[in-house]
Amino acid sequence: MRVFGKSVRDNRRAWIGWIVALTAVAAMYASFYPSINNPAMADALNAFPQSLKEAFHLEDYTKPENYFAASVFGLLVPILVAVFAISAGVKAIAGDEEAGTLDLVQAQPVSRVSLALQRFLAITVAMAAIAGVMCLVVIALRGPGQFTALSPGRLFAISLQLALFGLMFAALAYGVGAWTGRRRYAIAVGAVIAVLGYLGDSFFTQIQSLKWVEKFSPFDWYLGGEPLKHGVQWGHAGLLLGFAVLFVAAGTWRYNRRDLAV
Amino acid sequence: MAETPAIQTEALVKRYGRGGATALKGLDLTVAPGEVFGFLGPNGAGKTTTIRILLDLIRPTSGSVRVLGLDPRSSPGLRGHLGYLAGDFVADGRQTGLELLTYLGSLRGGVTAQRIHELAAAWDLDLSKRIGTLSKGNRQKLGVLQAFMHRPSLLILDEPTSGLDPFLQQQFVALVLEAARNGQTVFMSSHVMSEVQQTCDRVGIIRAGSLVAVEHIDDLRKRALRKIEVHFGSDAPALDVPGVSDVVIDGKVLRCKLSGDADALVKALARHHVVDLLSEEPELEEIFFTYYRRTGA
Repeated sequence: MRVFGKSVRDNRRAWIGWIVALTAVAAMYASFYPSINNPAMADALNAFPQSLKEAFHLEDYTKPENYFAASVFGLLVPILVAVFAISAGVKAIAGDEEAGTLDLVQAQPVSRVSLALQRFLAITVAMAAIAGVMCLVVIALRGPGQFTALSPGRLFAISLQLALFGLMFAALAYGVGAWTGRRRYAIAVGAVIAVLGYLGDSFFTQIQSLKWVEKFSPFDWYLGGEPLKHGVQWGHAGLLLGFAVLFVAAGTWRYNRRDLAV
Repeated sequence: MAETPAIQTEALVKRYGRGGATALKGLDLTVAPGEVFGFLGPNGAGKTTTIRILLDLIRPTSGSVRVLGLDPRSSPGLRGHLGYLAGDFVADGRQTGLELLTYLGSLRGGVTAQRIHELAAAWDLDLSKRIGTLSKGNRQKLGVLQAFMHRPSLLILDEPTSGLDPFLQQQFVALVLEAARNGQTVFMSSHVMSEVQQTCDRVGIIRAGSLVAVEHIDDLRKRALRKIEVHFGSDAPALDVPGVSDVVIDGKVLRCKLSGDADALVKALARHHVVDLLSEEPELEEIFFTYYRRTGA
């Protein structure tokens, strides 16, 4: 587990930065809730066109489960989580390989599979830490933020789905990077899937003929089942985790067989 | 007793990609345990490809490889007994030298903090600096230290002294000689002939992906042409001596090239009044160049 330890040590500053930033964003949105929760705001929102409300998942914001799904856990947080996950996934193998620094480590008595999986495990721990700290801070804000109507269990449920959502993107970028050894492929594939997934869960749903796309969006697997209302969506969680496992397995399989780039 | 060779390759072929360049065309190489083997050849001949196959960083297209008797592909643990220095040694610049050496030492096992500090002191290297802030030479020092620090059975060094100043090159030569005395095997590619001459028992010359010659360094030296210059008391005589060629007479001075034994020439000269006799050290470099240039195609 020395490679794992080294990964955590080398990345600790960046990862702590991500934990602080994402928690701050979530806490900021959460602290706005009391100012949203009044009739005037509800009327203002109701004035928006229906299609816009659907695209941005704007519903009755005075209910905390709606407000939190759209603000605290919607929009910015999943996008930032995807950015973190893709950058961490790219760096694990492809980034190191292109920098030329992977050779030295892989010339040590550690197998390819072990090295790759230990590095991905470190990302998994970082993702869990981000979602975990965020979840705890939001739970702690329930009293002062006047959203005790949201149970800690539901907040945990959405945080778990967020973590799995991030894990899937990390696995995708890791997998493409481990397969090809190229940063730009890993970044491109990760970014394209993130953007298409986001559009598929928001604007495409406005087009009747494209509504089916929603079912294939990782954003839908994260938020579509409304975990703040209904708890953990095991089907969606299974999809996110299943794809994460698939991407990691495929990337690692190929990494173990191919030549390392000079 | 037939000892297991430190390195043995048979019919090693490496093609990059589909229809890509063929870097190795059936390389047969045997390095005996305890020997210092120089691996020479022009750029692009396949030296680095061979070295990266030995470390399982890349996989051969066909042929077999054994390192310390094991298949590098299926024995990652083997690499704990190897010391590897890449041609362009790079490591993550945000860590300090000490962090890197400690990490590599922990992966290989058996490297004490004391050993790391002793080596760093002997090489005058500040381990508390971030690698990114080190000069090219100091980074290369770090590369040399990490390769030697765990006293590996086999050192695989790719252009080990590139970037080192002549003083450090000498220090490196001493390190290799010390490793050889300890019974460690050294396999190194090099362009620096003086360091090859000082350290290597045998040299292999690779050209365009196959080994064109393997020679003991002493044999090479014996066959090498020495430049001879003789100053006579009177006009230089015409000489016809075996082993002497390219005779040029310029008044009282005779210049020629000598290969092999000098006895016949000395005895022929003894009949004349010799004022001065100059014999230059054989230039291995010239021999290598003849191998490099020899057209195999």
